Amino acid sequence: MAAPLYVTQSGRLWHAGLILIVTVGLPARGKTHISRALERYLRWLGVKTRVYSLGDYRRKVLGGAENIPADYFKLNKTERTDETNTLRRKIKLDLEEEIWDYFQVQGGQVVIYDANNGNMKSRKETRDRFEERGVHVIFLESQCDKEDIITANIRSVKLSSPDYQGWDADRAVADYWSRIRDQQVFYEEVTAEEGPFIKVMNVGERIEVNRIEGYLQSRCCFFLMNIHTSPRTIYFARSGQSLIEHSYKADSDLSSAGWEYADRLKAAVMARRKAVRAERRRKSEVGGESEENPLIVWTSARRRAYHTAWPFVHSGYKVVQKPIMSEINPGVWDGLSTQEAKERYPDEWERFLADPYAHRAPRAESYHDLSVRVEPIIFELERCQEDLLIIGHASVIRCLLAYLVGLPPNEVPAVEIARGDLVEVTPASYGVVSRAFHFWSGEGRGDLAGGNLYENFAEATTGKGRIPAESGVNFAADAMDMEREARDEQDMDKERKKRMSAGMGLGLEKMKSLEGGRGTASAPPEVVREEAEEAREDLFDEQEGEATGQKRDGRAMSIIQI
Amino acid sequence: MSSTPPVPTSGKPRSADRSPYLAPKPLTSTTKEDGQPPVDPSDLANAMKNLNTLQSVKTPAGSAAPSAATSPDVSGSNSPNPPGQLQLEGLDKLIQQNPLAMPAGEGKLEGKTISVPGTPHFGAQSELLKTLDDATKVLRQSSKAPTRAPSVSGIGAVVEKPDYSEAKIVVAMVGLPARGKSYLSNRLMRYLRWLEYKVDVFNVGQLRRSKARAEQQLGGEKVDHSADYFSASNEKGQAIREQLASESLESLISWLKKEGNVGIMDATNSTFDRREKIRKRVAQEPGLQLLFLESFCNDPKVIAANVVLKARSGDPDYAGMSEEEAQRDFRKRIEAYERVYQTITEPGISFCRILNVGQQVTINRIDGYLQSRIAFYLMNLHLKPRHIYLSRHGESMYNVSGKIGGDSDISPQGWQYAKALPDLVRQNIGDGPLEVWTSTLQRTIQTGSFLPFEHKTWKSLDELDAGVCDGMTYEEIEEKYPEDYEARDEDKFNYRYRGGESYRDVVVRLEPVIMELERQENILIIAHQAILRSLYAYFMALSQEELPYIKIPLHTLIKITPMAYGCHEERYPLPIAAVDTHRPNPKKMAEQHAEQNAAHPDVAKIEVARDYFGASAAPPPGGAPPPPEPGVSASGVTKALEKDVENGGMTPKAAHQEVKD
Repeated sequence: MAAPLYVTQSGRLWHAGLILIVTVGLPARGKTHISRALERYLRWLGVKTRVYSLGDYRRKVLGGAENIPADYFKLNKTERTDETNTLRRKIKLDLEEEIWDYFQVQGGQVVIYDANNGNMKSRKETRDRFEERGVHVIFLESQCDKEDIITANIRSVKLSSPDYQGWDADRAVADYWSRIRDQQVFYEEVTAEEGPFIKVMNVGERIEVNRIEGYLQSRCCFFLMNIHTSPRTIYFARSGQSLIEHSYKADSDLSSAGWEYADRLKAAVMARRKAVRAERRRKSEVGGESEENPLIVWTSARRRAYHTAWPFVHSGYKVVQKPIMSEINPGVWDGLSTQEAKERYPDEWERFLADPYAHRAPRAESYHDLSVRVEPIIFELERCQEDLLIIGHASVIRCLLAYLVGLPPNEVPAVEIARGDLVEVTPASYGVVSRAFHFWSGEGRGDLAGGNLYENFAEATTGKGRIPAESGVNFAADAMDMEREARDEQDMDKERKKRMSAGMGLGLEKMKSLEGGRGTASAPPEVVREEAEEAREDLFDEQEGEATGQKRDGRAMSIIQI
Repeated sequence: MSSTPPVPTSGKPRSADRSPYLAPKPLTSTTKEDGQPPVDPSDLANAMKNLNTLQSVKTPAGSAAPSAATSPDVSGSNSPNPPGQLQLEGLDKLIQQNPLAMPAGEGKLEGKTISVPGTPHFGAQSELLKTLDDATKVLRQSSKAPTRAPSVSGIGAVVEKPDYSEAKIVVAMVGLPARGKSYLSNRLMRYLRWLEYKVDVFNVGQLRRSKARAEQQLGGEKVDHSADYFSASNEKGQAIREQLASESLESLISWLKKEGNVGIMDATNSTFDRREKIRKRVAQEPGLQLLFLESFCNDPKVIAANVVLKARSGDPDYAGMSEEEAQRDFRKRIEAYERVYQTITEPGISFCRILNVGQQVTINRIDGYLQSRIAFYLMNLHLKPRHIYLSRHGESMYNVSGKIGGDSDISPQGWQYAKALPDLVRQNIGDGPLEVWTSTLQRTIQTGSFLPFEHKTWKSLDELDAGVCDGMTYEEIEEKYPEDYEARDEDKFNYRYRGGESYRDVVVRLEPVIMELERQENILIIAHQAILRSLYAYFMALSQEELPYIKIPLHTLIKITPMAYGCHEERYPLPIAAVDTHRPNPKKMAEQHAEQNAAHPDVAKIEVARDYFGASAAPPPGGAPPPPEPGVSASGVTKALEKDVENGGMTPKAAHQEVKD
């Protein structure tokens, strides 16, 4: 057939060929969760990736329940009429054509085919069909042998189905379980003869890998090894203003406004942590404080970032410097303002504007380069079970946020991160919830003069860096209160740390990660509700593939003034 | 190009002169720092003035009246041949000689500057940096903060090693004899040591042999270590082996508790019982993690090759036996193990099972980042025979003028090298497949431009970023910042240029490249001195102290062949003149031989021969440090392996396996 289609857009991708990842697994095994996480990761790497869900597709083609033949969801083929079987087959083939179209016409590189695919014969058909067209096919089987994880899954995403409207929750769970058991009879596990596969047990607890070759493929495995679903919060904040803002090389100290910012930041983080804990306690999610996550701070090795973390260092928090989190390297544009760059490098400037994500100014890093550079941070971020505060540079935060929120690469340079906003990200079922809290409006909030064009490109072009008009009513105004709260909070953290180290040291940590449940998707209830709303799906779908619903816009990030 | 610098009229006053307070605000306490001399108000005012000026400095060049301080060409201006001109001449000539030389050359010549002047205006060439540091210092002195974040001035600083003290992992190997356990443990050790983890292999077989020999030297009888000893029915042997294993584990644990990060217990650990004992023992130690690493191999060819190698390798267990006898006995030993072998099926333990090195990998309960790194690394290994070629770019214009960093073009001699490279490569690999990796800098891309293979450009292969020193010569740095210059020589690996990188930073960013290299087959990497030093240190298992002084001359192709116990290296220098950019370690100049070792790790130095008594590592407790073993001829083994490699008969997977208990 067609010649191997290398879709290496503008030379920025690896020559990885086309990859189809076919999910396999019973309902409520976290297939969709894993698919979405993988999609997010690959997209962030700059690989054109899309999840195709069989359930979604059927719904799109056939419409609501009234248009579906009554026997459409009968489990056994012989129980269905011939027309229904033909219809089912047609829908599957049509979707596969659409996937092929994505590869061939739209320039996609990886497709994740989200469906149950519990039948070995039909899996083989799919594989053969794509492999003869030069697509590398991998099965991604998600298994779960822990009832509590499955039950938590059912509760968090399945119960909102119209099927269970008005049901008692426990009865609905029991009913869903009986449906899963019905399907179990027909379910066939992936075997080594079927070709390359990745089996994930209990969302990352055990990974089995068979004949996985290729760069992207093994990256996917490594990624799947590192994800977990324990609840935690990630905070992002920019570093404070430095003496020489517009130079990368000078690596200058914080200005006095920067030092002030550092103190405010610490107070803001403490206050947020307290609020989050109160919120959780109100929803009786956490029993005692001992289940509260400790806080770790990561900064880059640049002075302006590490010094911004100084108040944390000073009061005994664990602060880790990560050299690969340095801001984007502006190369020969270091120190140039927008105006100057335009005048001195008119061609480069044009190309940069045309593609701010991929264009690399002389000796500079493009945003793609930066994404590749901070990739190890993504893994550590996924792996980390503690609450995390990342004090970094706008460009790096942009990349990390884009990953967490799931933005396409070309939008990365435009993500707005104003100095003085604390971004709070909480992982949820199929994505994350992110909010920003404004806590500071002092000097150096924005870069209106465009003095640091690479770093502040987004803010300078959108005007986001501007100080909110009503900045009187915000976090910063409550400084007195906040500092007191911060002290309380800090004492508590210290106390907890003491207890931890006195008691069982690492033993406790370990116990926590064993019991605290990989995979007990216990996101905050509020979030679950939102997600469930979006992921509304009818149960019967499960037979074909889990629907993800018509997507929420996880990107919207509102600035909340406190 | 604009001739006037934008005037800082943006109306927004800068912080220094209007900020409400100049010091980091004390958060909890108001204790004053003692012994702080008061700052002269006029100094302070002066510092602020300077800062204000600096903050408005915008243009590196082309300002109405370029002073020596702001012009980018300070360093080059004394030179009789300004580099820019030289480049043009060289290129012109070259393109005339060979129109194919630079396909994109002409457009480039017409269009814009070929090589952008790499001088940042806050570079160390100018006085700006010093002015900034002085002003900063005064401001800091006037600070009333109880404590201050450490600050550096000048052009860089020595950076501490990241804290790995929390990572403490016992890696217990599991597998039958001749299944590549030692191969995997050595690879893992090399990788993690390169990343600065403290790793050691605790080999039970070594402990057994060195004990037996110590006994023999004390006048005892030669201990029988033939297959009977390993039989499960030999109760005495069993008990002794049990004892040895726990001794080895104890010394591993105490080493981990003291300083280590990863202790690899290289033994068969082939039964549930034995593994349960290990698990229980490690569980008693808070903070230690346990990971089992099973090497499973069902390819008879691989096992057979390993057996042959074992019998031939001069194992003292088989001293005095013919090769056939040794093989027979070794096979019997394997059978003895096979009868009782139990593959890992225990629930709830962390393990990684590897089938035929990389064919299939099972990973269970991987806990912690380092463990997942280990698993990912093992997943990417393969045993296909291949070569890795390393070459620096051809001599660059910056090399000629002695400058560091930059993005200059290659010199006429550099172009000669670029043109000679395809033939040299072809002679070596024939028609085999090859992929060429270059950095994103012009000098490597140009050097590779004649190679008819697939090219990939890696940003991660770019040269160590010299930050504010980019574009300077070492002489200039020494002259302007003598203390910094010395500091870098004190601890080159850890020295990070201001606004740039240290060797450690380079190693960290090269890690993904190593991972990809492990997966690939024949690769030619055209890169830079610091980059190749780091890669070379990985393959040759050189320490962080040696790394920054490895000799990687220009116009030399280095061929690296991964083998059982390390890598085999050959160098092909081309007779094209080039400047020498190697700066020897001043400390080591006296200790000439150490330098020699780092610079020319010849084949004999590579540990192809097996270390049967652990003689190269610290002596195991209980065993006296053994004298050189007369029966083992290391060089003989080396030669045999060399020959095999030459004949193409030796594949890495055929190499070196052995039994431990």
